[in-house]
Amino acid sequence: MARASTTSDVFNAVGDVHRRAILDLLLTGEKPVGAIVSDVSMSQPQVSRHLRVLGEVGLVKSRADGRRRLYRLAPEQLRPLHAWVARYERAINHRLDRIEDYLDELQRQGEREGQDSDT
Amino acid sequence: MTPDRHGSAVITFPSELEVVITREFDAPIALVFDVLTKPEHVTRWGATPPDRMTECSIDLRVGGGYHSSFVTGDGRVFSFSGTYLEVEPPVRTVETWHFNVWPDVEAVETMELQERDGVTTFTWTMAFSDQAGRDHMTSFGGHQDSLDEMDHILRSLLDPNPA
Repeated sequence: MARASTTSDVFNAVGDVHRRAILDLLLTGEKPVGAIVSDVSMSQPQVSRHLRVLGEVGLVKSRADGRRRLYRLAPEQLRPLHAWVARYERAINHRLDRIEDYLDELQRQGEREGQDSDT
Repeated sequence: MTPDRHGSAVITFPSELEVVITREFDAPIALVFDVLTKPEHVTRWGATPPDRMTECSIDLRVGGGYHSSFVTGDGRVFSFSGTYLEVEPPVRTVETWHFNVWPDVEAVETMELQERDGVTTFTWTMAFSDQAGRDHMTSFGGHQDSLDEMDHILRSLLDPNPA
């Protein structure tokens, strides 16, 4: 059974490789469940369960189309995830920028002192 | 002049338990390796005032350990430690990773370097051994406390300078 946290936040919803496969597929457009099942090599009950989780966090929306139900991506719900990655990216880059600056400084020193073997 | 590559790291999540970061440096591989693994270099870039790096020991051989500690401007202490599992200068080290704020998390860190035409690519991989580590990475969706915690962790891990 899905844990409560799985259904309550986008981070856990996309933490599952099968759900990411479904999201990747829906990137290409709206699809009925049958088309998803045939594309991601999962059973229909599995796909339905994952679609329900994705629906509960708002990443996937659906609408009736005659007797079928069509599922589509609602990417605006990925915003918290994107914000988190951007934050992570900034922090990592800040650290790596310091290494870059320090390497530049060391190499400039090496050139000044004529220790650069390329010269 | 070397190009400015500030802000150019690429971060990917290849599996549920891994984070991979790559970044290029315009420097020879041997120098980059030394800067990443010798305490006299690491202490030069490891912390930004008002934060201080209070400890930096690196015993760079298989079975050897490393330990670094930071004190932030407001007095919090963060420390990282582990044991080297593989050491292949100047291309690769693999080490266990422990963070004092996440005592339940086991991770293995891999640092790899590759030089091509004078540019050295640094690939840094964190592989969490189980769900506990991944949960720390991802289970704080939107809660300010956990966002703050993540910020502190990232600051100490990656840039001890408060934003």
